[in-house]
Amino acid sequence: MTPTEPGAPPQTRLQSAAPSQKPPAIRVAGLSKRFGRVKAVDEMAFSVPTGSVCGFLGPNGAGKTTTLRMLLGLARPDDGEMELLGTPMPSGRAETLEKTGSLVEKPSFIEQFTGFENLWWFGSLAAPLAKQRVDETLELVGLSDAAHKPFGIYSTGMKQRLGVAGAILHHPALLLLDEPTNGMDPQGRAQIRDIIRNIHDREGTTIFLSSHLLDEVQRLCDYVVIVDHGKMIRQGFVGELLNDGHETWELRLPPQEAAKAADLLKAVSHVFGVQSAPRGLEINIAHGTSHEINRALVEAGIAVSALIPREASLEETFLALTDSEPGADRS
Amino acid sequence: MMRRMLVLFGFELKKVLSRKKAFLFLLALNVVPIIASIGAMLAYLKMRSFGLGSIEYSVLVELVQGLFTAHMKLFAWISPFFLALVVGDIVSGEAGRGHLKTLLLTPVARWQVLLAKGAAVMVFLLIAVALGGLFLQLDLWVAHNMSRSGAVIMDARESGAILADTATGLRLLTISFMTNLTMVAYFLLTALFFETPILMAFSSLILLMAMQTYVMMAPYIAKLDAVYGRWVPWCFTRHISELTDVKTIYGVLDQSLTLSSSVIREPLIGSLGWAAAFFALALLVFHRRQILS
Repeated sequence: MTPTEPGAPPQTRLQSAAPSQKPPAIRVAGLSKRFGRVKAVDEMAFSVPTGSVCGFLGPNGAGKTTTLRMLLGLARPDDGEMELLGTPMPSGRAETLEKTGSLVEKPSFIEQFTGFENLWWFGSLAAPLAKQRVDETLELVGLSDAAHKPFGIYSTGMKQRLGVAGAILHHPALLLLDEPTNGMDPQGRAQIRDIIRNIHDREGTTIFLSSHLLDEVQRLCDYVVIVDHGKMIRQGFVGELLNDGHETWELRLPPQEAAKAADLLKAVSHVFGVQSAPRGLEINIAHGTSHEINRALVEAGIAVSALIPREASLEETFLALTDSEPGADRS
Repeated sequence: MMRRMLVLFGFELKKVLSRKKAFLFLLALNVVPIIASIGAMLAYLKMRSFGLGSIEYSVLVELVQGLFTAHMKLFAWISPFFLALVVGDIVSGEAGRGHLKTLLLTPVARWQVLLAKGAAVMVFLLIAVALGGLFLQLDLWVAHNMSRSGAVIMDARESGAILADTATGLRLLTISFMTNLTMVAYFLLTALFFETPILMAFSSLILLMAMQTYVMMAPYIAKLDAVYGRWVPWCFTRHISELTDVKTIYGVLDQSLTLSSSVIREPLIGSLGWAAAFFALALLVFHRRQILS
């Protein structure tokens, strides 16, 4: 399956993206939102397969949070259609939100209430809630010790974890998370990643995750939607998005043999690019031809000490698609 | 839906009453009856222990009337300041701090949120009024005990001076509660346009004070040109002024006026009509409001 590019009608994208016959967990078509003169979201269209962990990527100011706000009924779209779990939004808001957990930007709970109280009160608004479930969820996010301390004294990481706890409290069918590991230390990020992965594996929850941390998305997500300037520019399964038929390998060899090897490889038909690397060469070759490259080098008498595959990076794909400098902020 | 509404109401009420300042607000709103009760109790204890001397019945009646009037007037003047802060905190403050966003990420409807917040503030107001009522009841108890003792000279009983009783006090407190409902609805509406409680409180109070100044000045400046009095009927504060007028309070205390008397009934209906209009407008505004914080 080929990742979808803009231009095709939304329905076509939807059909191509779905891994099964199940309706998509999220479907957005022609979604637009303007703030004054600024068009924050411009004819956005994408769909998220049910049961996937989907990364929602885009530079700052690309329209990710505005899209999430519209999906959850916090902001009104100027135009377009949205469906969550097959229910149109915002008309089916209450029904949908009963089955959806969310965390939009920083978690905002009542400062003078404890973590437990916050979860219990906010959670009880969605459905009747047992106190035992609150305890379980707090334990799951590692906040058992701080359960009865006021939210106001929580650290940024603890607040973020409580936000995730609030989102997963009711075993949602769909989880929408906006920068869930924002402000967390590496251990905290790893813990949240584990929680998200566990929920997905155990309960089959569809997860829609907006993040700036591309390595995190690559580790966690099997599907991505990339947006820029308020438009969807690419969506598809991560493996397919990264697989353009080429492979990058690091070729380690003695420095005096690098020039000879480079000349030899440039003449080989499967090789699309050769460039020097700190300990040899970096080569871009056709998929599945590494053994032929190795044989050609050995037959030419070049002492290859190692041929190491380099995993394709989502960051490179993202930067190429969005034409962004790393860390660039357009908001 | 009913279960969700009840949980939401409980949540809002807990938020309002769990703040330390809520307790201070309740004390501040009832400063007159609290101080009067302390004074009355001391006087009563002194009378019981050492004798009080003598007091004319008409003076005792006037004392009670003055106490109720002072409380009603002061409550009417200062309650908007405290109600503005309470409403500002649970609407504007929550919008600014992002709590409103968290609330609206649950399946509760927007009208339920506004209704629950309004109901929570009404309960706060009811507690404030009831607390004042309790202390006033204590004063009435002391006054009635004194009137039955030998310390009171029955000078004016024959002339018709009536010492206020519990029913009379309840009538006044009902008026006080009803007029403040208009304030609650007005603040709920204005709070939707701000994300900072202090800014909301100051802005809405400036508008309120400007309106009240105009209502007070209009009869005089309208003598210069009738056009200056044209907007008075559109000022909701005029109903509150009429209901908390000294003559009206005295009328209720001497039992010449009841809640069904036209002098009270008409401004009361007008005031509640404004409350309903403000609340309906607030629902409309909140329904269209985008939560961007």
